Amino acid sequence: MTSPADGRQRWLTLLGRRWVLIVLLVVVWWVLATLLRGIHTLSLSTATDTWFTALLRELTAVIRGNRTESPVFIYLFNPIRVGIEGFIDSIRAVISVPAPGNLIPLMGWLGTLAVIALIVYATSNLRTAALCTALLLGCLVLGMWTYTLDTLAMTLGAVALSLAIGLPLGVWAGLSDRVMAALRPGLDLAQILPTLVYLAPLALVFLIGVASATIATMVYSIPICIRITAHAIRSLRASPLEAATAMGSTRWQLLTKVQLPMARRTIILGINQTTLAALSFVVIAALIGAPGLGKPVVEALIIRDVGDGIVAGIAVVLLAIMLDRATTAAVVHTDEVLDMTEHQRRLRRIGLVVAGLATIAAIIASRYLMWAAVVPERLDIGEQVGRIAGTVVTWITTNLGFATTGLNEFITVTVLNPVEGILANAPWYLTVIMISVLAAIIGGRTAGLVAVCLLTAIVVIGLWNDTMITLAQVLLATVVVMVVGVVLGVLAGRSTRVERALKPLLDAGQTLPAFVYLVPVLALFGPTRFASIVCGVFYAAPVVVRVVADGVRGVPAEMVEAATSAGSTRTQIITKVQLPASRRSLMLGANQGLIFVLAVVVIGGFVGAGGLGYLVIVGQSKPELAGKGLAAGLAIVLLGIVLDRIAQSGGRSRPTGQDRWAPGH
Amino acid sequence: MPLPAARDWRAASVHNPSMSAAPTIRVEGLWKVFGPHPQRLVGSPDADLSRSELRTRTGCTVAVKDVTFDVAAGEVFVVMGLSGSGKSTLVRCLTRLVDPTAGRVWLGGEDIVAVGSSRLRHLRRTKFSMVFQHFGLLPHRRVIDNIAYALEVNGAARDVRHARAHEVIALVGLQGYEQAFPEQLSGGMQQRVGLARALAVDPEVLFLDEPFSALDPLIRRDMQTEVRRLHRDLGKTMVFITHDLAEAMKLGDRVAIMRDGAIVQIGTPEEIIAHPVDDYVADFTRDIPASHVLSLGTIARPLATGEQAAEVALPAATIVRDATATILAADGPIRVVDGTTEKGVVGATDVLRLISGEHR
Ligand SMILES: Nc1ncnc2c1ncn2[C@@H]1O[C@H](COP(=O)(O)OP(=O)(O)OP(=O)(O)O)[C@@H](O)[C@H]1O
Ligand SMILES: [Mg+2]
Repeated sequence: MTSPADGRQRWLTLLGRRWVLIVLLVVVWWVLATLLRGIHTLSLSTATDTWFTALLRELTAVIRGNRTESPVFIYLFNPIRVGIEGFIDSIRAVISVPAPGNLIPLMGWLGTLAVIALIVYATSNLRTAALCTALLLGCLVLGMWTYTLDTLAMTLGAVALSLAIGLPLGVWAGLSDRVMAALRPGLDLAQILPTLVYLAPLALVFLIGVASATIATMVYSIPICIRITAHAIRSLRASPLEAATAMGSTRWQLLTKVQLPMARRTIILGINQTTLAALSFVVIAALIGAPGLGKPVVEALIIRDVGDGIVAGIAVVLLAIMLDRATTAAVVHTDEVLDMTEHQRRLRRIGLVVAGLATIAAIIASRYLMWAAVVPERLDIGEQVGRIAGTVVTWITTNLGFATTGLNEFITVTVLNPVEGILANAPWYLTVIMISVLAAIIGGRTAGLVAVCLLTAIVVIGLWNDTMITLAQVLLATVVVMVVGVVLGVLAGRSTRVERALKPLLDAGQTLPAFVYLVPVLALFGPTRFASIVCGVFYAAPVVVRVVADGVRGVPAEMVEAATSAGSTRTQIITKVQLPASRRSLMLGANQGLIFVLAVVVIGGFVGAGGLGYLVIVGQSKPELAGKGLAAGLAIVLLGIVLDRIAQSGGRSRPTGQDRWAPGH
Repeated sequence: MPLPAARDWRAASVHNPSMSAAPTIRVEGLWKVFGPHPQRLVGSPDADLSRSELRTRTGCTVAVKDVTFDVAAGEVFVVMGLSGSGKSTLVRCLTRLVDPTAGRVWLGGEDIVAVGSSRLRHLRRTKFSMVFQHFGLLPHRRVIDNIAYALEVNGAARDVRHARAHEVIALVGLQGYEQAFPEQLSGGMQQRVGLARALAVDPEVLFLDEPFSALDPLIRRDMQTEVRRLHRDLGKTMVFITHDLAEAMKLGDRVAIMRDGAIVQIGTPEEIIAHPVDDYVADFTRDIPASHVLSLGTIARPLATGEQAAEVALPAATIVRDATATILAADGPIRVVDGTTEKGVVGATDVLRLISGEHR
C-alpha cells in the first residue's frame, strides 16, 4: 500500500518530467484560449498601419527621395549597383542578351553550349561534360534557352562575387579564432534568416533589378561559402601542419603549400554548395527583378497558370542537376588526376585540344549560321510540355479533386484551425506567456527570456496576429516534417538499402530551389494555407531525414550489439538505444526542420497562405504597404530567432561547418 | 675479447657528459604549464600537487616541470616516460612548436626560447629537424616533394632540392618510391619518408617524437636498427622520445625518465637498470633483461674466502650476456679487469642469479 507521502512524491517526480509538464501546460493553454477566445487578438487588416509600419513607410520614402542626393548613395550604393549591374550584364551580353540591334548575344546557342561543355570537360571528365550538355539541351528544347542562360549568368556572376568574398573570409576564419568569433553571429543569423526577408530592404537601397538580385543572392550564399571553407581549414589533420611548421614554413607558405592543398576537396564541395544555393536564390530573386527562369515561375504563380510554371520549373531542375554534377565531378576529378598514367594524361591533353578546336568552330558557326545562332523553333517542345502538364493537372483536379480538396479541408478544419485558434485567436498576453514558458522548459532559461523579449517586440511593432497565423502553419508543418523525418531517418539509418533508395530523393530535395515546389503543390491544393504547409514539408523533410539517419548510423555498433545480445526486440532497440543515443541529431533535425519550414511557409504567403509572408509580398508591390512589408520581414526574423533558440536545446552550441548544407554526394 | 658488433656504434659514442666541452643542447629549468595564468605555477609549491588536483583547483596542467639536462654532440639522448608524462611537450618546447612557460633551451650556443621568429625559421630550416609519431607527411605531395619540402621553403631551386632528396632517399632505402603518394605506402615506409625528410636538410640535431610507436613490432625493430645505422654513419645528435624502455635501452647513450612532467632519473641504460632511483623507475626496468644491459664491472664482487678464481679475465665494460658463455665454461669465477686494475670476480651463480631476477 502506498502512503500519502509516497503518492505525493510520485506526483512530484511525474511533474518533474519535462514532457508531462509540457502536456499539462498545453492543456491549460488550450482551456484558457478557448475561454478567452477572440479577446485582445490584435488582429489587423492588411491596409492598416501601426505606429511602426508608418514609421518604416516614412523611412522608405526618405530613402527613395535620397537616392539621387545623399552622398551615401552617390558614393557608395549607386556605384556598387552600377558595378554589379555592369558585371552581370557583361556576362549576359556574351551568352543571353543580344546587344541592341543584334539578333544574338556574342555567341549563339551552339557556341555557348560548346563553351560550357568544354569547361566541364576541362574541370572534370568527358562523361560529365556529355551529361551537362544533355541537361542543357533539355532546357533548350523546353523553349527556356534564354531564360536558362540568364539564370546561369546571374548564378555564375553571383557565385564568382560570392567566392571572391567568401573564400578569403572563410580561410581567414579558418585560421583565426578571433575572426571566426567575429563572424559567427552573422553566420548564425544567416542560417535562420528566411530568404524572403532580405529582398525588400535590398531592393529599397539598390532598386529592383539585377543588382539587388545579385546582392541578395550573395547575402544568401556567402555565409555558406565562409562556413564550409572555414570548416575545411579547421578540420585538417594537425600533424602535417606541425611538421611543416617544424621545417620552418612561414605562415604564408604553410597556407599555400599545406593548408589550402589539403583542404581543396572540401573547399570545392563548398563551391558546389555555394553554387546550388545561389541558383536557388536567383530563382526566388525574380521577385525583385532577377532575369531568368524565376520570372516565368513567378508569373505562373501570379496568374495561377500551372503549365508554364511547370516547364520553367523543370528547366530549373535540369540546371540544378547540371551545376551539381559539374561541381561534384570537379571534386572527384582532382583525385583522379593523381592516379593517371602518363599515357592517360597524354590522351586527355589531346582530347582537350580537339575539344577546344571544336568549341572554336562552334562559336564561329554560332555567329554566322542561323540554325546555330538562334534556337530553331522546330526544337521547341515547351508549349507541348506545358499543355500536357496543364492537362494532367486539370485531370487531377477534376478526378482526384475530392481527395486533394478533402485532405486539404480535413487537415484545415481538424488541425490547422484549432492550432491557429489557440495561437492567434486568444489574447496576445496569454500566447506570449505560454510560448515563453514552453520555451524555457524546452530550451532553457535563455530561450525563455529570448522568447519573452522578441515576442513582446513583435506585439509592439504591431504584427502580432499575422505572426501567429504564420507560426501555426510552421508548427504544423514541423510536426509533420519531424514525424516523416524520424521514421524515414531511422529506416535509412538502419538499412543501407533504404538509404540507397532514398538518396536520389534526398539529393534532389537538397538541390532544388524551394520555389519550384510551389507550382505543382499550388496546382494540387489551390491557394491555401495547406498548400504552403505541404511545400514546407517537402522542402524540409530531406534535411531532417539526412540528419536523423546520420545520427542513427552514428550510434556505436557495440551499443546496438550489446542491446541485441541483452534480448531487445527491434522496437526496443530503436526506442531505447538508437533514438536516445542520437538525441543530439534529433534536436539538430528539429532545429533545421523548423528553420527550413519557416523559410518556405513564408514564401507560401505568395500562394494565399496569408500571414507575414503575404505582407512581405504585397509590401513589395504596393508602395503604400512598403512599411508593413518591411515590418513583416522583421517579424519573420524575430520569430525565426525564437524558434531557433527553443530548438537549440538549452544553449547547445551549433556544430560548425556543414550542418545546413550537408554536402549532397 | 672484442666487443660484440651490435654495440659498436654506441660504444663509439659513449661519453661522459661532464667531460665533453660544449654540449649541443642545454636545457635549463624548463617549464610548460597549460591553462590560465601559467606563469603563476612556475616554481610554486602548487606545482607539486597531483595533476588532477591541480586541474580542479587552477585549471592548469603542468606538462613539463623544471627540466634540466645536457645533450652532447653526437649523443643519442632518449626521453622515456608513460603516456601523458610530458615527453611530447618537452620535445616541442625544444623546437619551439610549443612556447615554454619558463626556462632556457640552448641549441648550439643560441637560446631558442629568445630568438625571433625569422631566426627561428632559419634554424628550423637548417639546424634541426623533427620526426613525428603520426608521420605528419603532406598527403597531397609525392614522396620526393615531401622530402624536399624544407629545402623548398628555404628557397632551394627545384633541381637542387630534388638532387638532395634523391640522396637521402637512397640513404633510407626508398629508391623507386619517389613518385608515390604517402597514402600508397605502408606505415614503416611512411616513417622512412619522415626520416628522410628530417635528414634532407643535414641538420645538426634530430628530434624524434615516438617515431615508431605507430608501427608493428617487427617493423619497429627494423626501424630501430635503421636509426642505429644512420647514427653510426652520420653521427647526428639525437633526442629520441619513446614510451618503450626496451627501445630506450637499445638506442640511448643516456636515458632520461620522466614522470608527471619532471625528470626523475638521467643516466646510461646500465646505471638506470643497476641503480633505479625509486620504485617508479624500478617498476619500469623490471621487464628489461638485466643481463642484456649490465656490464661485468657493475656486478663484480670481491673474491669470497676459500674461492678459487679462474685464469680467464674480461674487461669490466663487457655486457653480461656476451660474457655468459665464457663464464660458464670457466672452472671458477672469472676475473674482471678495468685496464690493469682488478674490479673483482663474476661466477656462474652470479650470472644465473642475475638472469633469474634475484639480483634486484
Ligand atoms: N595543448 C595542450 N593543452 C592543454 N594540455 C595539454 C596540451 N598538450 C598537452 N597537454 C597535457 O600535457 C600533458 C603532457 O602531454 P604530452 O603530450 O606531452 O604527453 P606525452 O608524454 O607525449 O604522452 P603520449 O605518450 O601520450 O604522447 C598531458 O596531461 C596533456 O593532457
Ligand atoms: Mg607524445
